Amino acid sequence: MAQGTTSDADSARTKADQMAVCLARELRDGERVFHGVNSPLPMVAIFMAKKLHAPRAVLIEVAGSVDPKPDRLPFSTNGPALCQGAAAIFSNADAYDLFARGGIDLMFLGGAQIDKAGRVNMSYIGNPSEPKVRLPGGGGGSVVMEQAWRVVVWRAAHDPRTFVPKVDFVTQTGNLRRVVTPLAVFAMGTGGLELESVHPGGLVEEVAAQTGFPLNLMRGIHETPPPTREELAVLAEVDPEGVRYSEFSELRQVMR
Amino acid sequence: MSKLHSLQEAVALIEEGQMIGLGGNSLSRSPSAFVRELVRQEKRGLCLVKTAGAYDIDLLCAAGAAAEVRSGYIGYENLFGMAHSYRQGVEDKTVRAVEHVCYTVIAGLRASAYGLPSQPVAGMEGSDTPALTGFRQAEDPYTGKKVYMIPRIRPNWAVLHVQHADAMGNARIDGGTFEDVLMSRAAEAVILTAERVVETDFFEEKPERTNIPAFMVRAVVHVPGGAAPVSCFPLYDTDEDSIARFLGCAGDFELLQGHLKEWEMRDRVMVEKR
Repeated sequence: MAQGTTSDADSARTKADQMAVCLARELRDGERVFHGVNSPLPMVAIFMAKKLHAPRAVLIEVAGSVDPKPDRLPFSTNGPALCQGAAAIFSNADAYDLFARGGIDLMFLGGAQIDKAGRVNMSYIGNPSEPKVRLPGGGGGSVVMEQAWRVVVWRAAHDPRTFVPKVDFVTQTGNLRRVVTPLAVFAMGTGGLELESVHPGGLVEEVAAQTGFPLNLMRGIHETPPPTREELAVLAEVDPEGVRYSEFSELRQVMR
Repeated sequence: MSKLHSLQEAVALIEEGQMIGLGGNSLSRSPSAFVRELVRQEKRGLCLVKTAGAYDIDLLCAAGAAAEVRSGYIGYENLFGMAHSYRQGVEDKTVRAVEHVCYTVIAGLRASAYGLPSQPVAGMEGSDTPALTGFRQAEDPYTGKKVYMIPRIRPNWAVLHVQHADAMGNARIDGGTFEDVLMSRAAEAVILTAERVVETDFFEEKPERTNIPAFMVRAVVHVPGGAAPVSCFPLYDTDEDSIARFLGCAGDFELLQGHLKEWEMRDRVMVEKR
């Protein structure tokens, strides 16, 4: 039992690291990037990418600053540490205006339900007038998902409850390019989301079984390139406390 | 003319059923002490406005003080998950959730600040939010482009927790300003709670750093630690243990009373007047 728990935790850590690396690789040098509240994996990924291949990327923080230099990454992704060492304060309204005029290249968004058409639900499970679950809401998603030039959605769970044929409520839709999960990466194509790569050690059939919409398994699906030694070293350097693990229920208990 | 009040006096200004814009964002710089006093004074039927809320909105829902919440996001973050009392209130229909996007809350506040009935906002194509909330489109008279028009949001009060205020109501915010400055312009009146009450020459030395001028402000309350258990840049970070204990109170009246009692001395400690 104890053995199993340890290996579950190890496996969750490996998945979190793979996800952080996949998200970091999405950011190109010189781009402007934004993450919202409740976004530990993207926050870690952005700080990591800026130390690796995207040193000139500009991070617009939901905490209201530009390119902060926090002593340590906070668990709250709009925590006060994300104003530390910033040369400019830039309010949320400023950031949303920048989105509206096409000034943000890349945005990372979460999603409670995601469907084949790349629509995202962050609002209600069930009918909104008789909701089974009231979710937190999409934050700025309904507007920014179509305003950012590229949107990457991540979710720290991959199961048929998350990846559904049709979302119960369309909170947001728009310029979705990829979806990163603990098992795989989806890419958005003309026919909707398709499997692009499966993380090392995983099987295409397993991923398909955990996805609630049909996938074309005949197309070329490759293995996600595993984290390089350099990527893992930088990941450990920017996030020594493991903020990225806080998205995984298997690891949350261990952390608090 | 000093506007300094005790916390109890300032909260007594709030009437049943009024609309309140709450400052801060998520787990940062919320007017937490003011919100706890709203609950102690058993206010009811409040309509709450905030782009992204957590402890403040959740507590008002837990206490039965909130009737309506207009927001883009209500929740704690990963370590604590969903705002249980808010969620329960919406699912039980004791709280009306008005589905907004952070940017539509901003647009509604801007309409009020600009003296307009509504404000156009870019985006929301393909989202179910406009139909659910009743946002309507209008045609731009120059290009014919259809845009959503967000009706004005004019809170009776903006309640903001700031780092520095003087007794007249000049205020300076350090770090992220969130929607606080806009709220101060959009609301009918402003109530400040402040970490420090300073002399006016503090503001006169750098007037460009004054976020809210005194004439907009109705009352100032000196509450050191008034955002706790959420963070206040750069003075203190989120008190995660207190948040966890509060979340354990959800659905239990006795425990909730205990939470309010636990904070009462700290919240009401400053009563000085000038």
